Amino acid sequence: MPDKKIKNRSKIKEKVSAELFEQVPYNVAVIDRDFNIVEANDNFAHNFGDWVGEKCYKVYKRRKEPCYECPSAKTFEDGMSRVTDAIGIDKLGRRIHYIGHSIPVRENGKKGEIQYVMELTRAVTETAQYQQEYQILFDRVPCFITVIDQDYRIIRANEAFRERFGQVIGQFCYEVYKRRKSRCPNCPAAKTFKDWKIHRSHQEGIGKRGQEIQYVVSTSPLRRHGSQVDHVIEICTDVTKLKNLEKKIIDAERLAAVGQTVAGLAHSIKNILMGLEGGKYMISLGLQKENTDLVRRGQDMLERNFDKTTTLVKDFLSFSKGRLPKLQMTNPNKLAMEIVDLYKDIAAKSGITLRAETAKNIKKVPLDPDAIHTCLTNLVSNAIDACQMGEQKGSEVVIKTSDEKGVLSIEVSDNGAGMDYEIKKKIFTTFFTTKGGEGTGLGLLTTRKLVQEHGGKIFVETEKGKGSCFRMEFPKNRLQAIYKEEKKNGE
Amino acid sequence: MDKKILIIEDEPDIITYLQTILEANGYQPYVATRVQDAWELIQKVKPDLICLDIMMPEETGISFYTQLRDESEYDNIPVMVVSGVIQKGEFDFRSFVPDEKYPPPEHYMEKPIKVDDFLNKVEKLTSANGHF
Repeated sequence: MPDKKIKNRSKIKEKVSAELFEQVPYNVAVIDRDFNIVEANDNFAHNFGDWVGEKCYKVYKRRKEPCYECPSAKTFEDGMSRVTDAIGIDKLGRRIHYIGHSIPVRENGKKGEIQYVMELTRAVTETAQYQQEYQILFDRVPCFITVIDQDYRIIRANEAFRERFGQVIGQFCYEVYKRRKSRCPNCPAAKTFKDWKIHRSHQEGIGKRGQEIQYVVSTSPLRRHGSQVDHVIEICTDVTKLKNLEKKIIDAERLAAVGQTVAGLAHSIKNILMGLEGGKYMISLGLQKENTDLVRRGQDMLERNFDKTTTLVKDFLSFSKGRLPKLQMTNPNKLAMEIVDLYKDIAAKSGITLRAETAKNIKKVPLDPDAIHTCLTNLVSNAIDACQMGEQKGSEVVIKTSDEKGVLSIEVSDNGAGMDYEIKKKIFTTFFTTKGGEGTGLGLLTTRKLVQEHGGKIFVETEKGKGSCFRMEFPKNRLQAIYKEEKKNGE
Repeated sequence: MDKKILIIEDEPDIITYLQTILEANGYQPYVATRVQDAWELIQKVKPDLICLDIMMPEETGISFYTQLRDESEYDNIPVMVVSGVIQKGEFDFRSFVPDEKYPPPEHYMEKPIKVDDFLNKVEKLTSANGHF
């Protein structure tokens, strides 16, 4: 019985071998010691063309003599199988990149003389191209790419990274990026190791020459061995230039606010001076004409303008306080409600409703609560004045907050007198006042300055006779940037 | 007959000052604190000269000036701009009114004014051939 089984087995093997020879997804060719192809499968013929009576080097590479360092020749010599990769030419004359196995075929089982070498080849042209593309991408994409292991050691780094940070393989990523001795707090890679998800964050690092580098990092999970995430790919984009530019813009806007006040201040002072000159003139004219009424009016005028000087100086000092806003985590809705509580009685006396419409999704943001309080006070008192000047009944002033697309906005709108184009153009540029002798024209200017110091902007929409809306917009990433900088400088 | 001077100005003390100077020197001042009031007075009194402030509530002096020059009936009334935005008698009128069809105002005077200069200019601008 066992004999029969063995006989069957060898028959099966024979059949399978013949089938395998044709069906295996390789080009198979058998060569003798003189490099003559003595047998080949259909795949081989399909890819390399007619082979009967040809030398292998002619068919594979269109060569006239054996290849340099032929792996099959070595296999004939030492009986060892070999794997090589090579480039040949297919039957249509196309360049073909293939992996080749040279396997010895012996005459009598395992110990016999090597009679032939079987060459199994498989085209990897596409894979090789992809690999080349990937390599270029990996090295030259304008990002720093590293692969780190669970100990946060860098095991691979792309060329862009090596250029900026030097040779770093085997070092800890925190050491390289930040010259730290231990893992960074809030490390995005740690999060990825934990939850296997992609994480992003903004970080500050130190380059190989000690320069500050601002970068945005994204960490992706990588499974190198098995199903667990055992590595993380860190991809960093250098945003140093961008951040510097952004800072410059914020600084420029902050300076612009101050610059414009010098001309504005001069205008204001000139008006007061003219009032003082007027008082002096009237007193001297009154004395000359022995007109006590003129003297008295002149004296009143002097007093009024001296008072105005005092007010202006006070306002100007509060305006020009050479300090940066002191940001702290603040709830904008709470600020809005405070202002409503403070002003609603005053507004009600003039028949004006003051109310707040606060968005529910607003979280605390870094703001200078005193500064925003001042802004809101200015805007609301202007809005109340505008309602008093307007002729509508049922006047109302609304403070509205919202947080959309990363921008916090706080607006004060009224349905009062509104402004024409000429006034709108002027309101922020000088010490402009529509309140005659009453105002110093500093309210809106101060408001704008404070908003700009927060990295924000103030917008005005107005229509004569219909009302106005002043909207302060604060991009939250700028607030965070200023907040961070302040903290850093405060340390 | 006294020459009529229209003062368009929103600052009460400056109005009083100019009024006093003009009255003490034999002129008849009229006052408008807003541009809208000025139009009524112009039609009523046909002033010989307008002293115009630039920065005023609701409507600026510049806007008033161009409208005045658009009115053929009043386009020959001389205008002296009296304002704090003028420096050393200079004012970049074209940056506000680029349209060449509007000639610049007859004179600019910086606040605070010097009384003698002011009176001199008023006299010149209100004399029979005041246009120069």
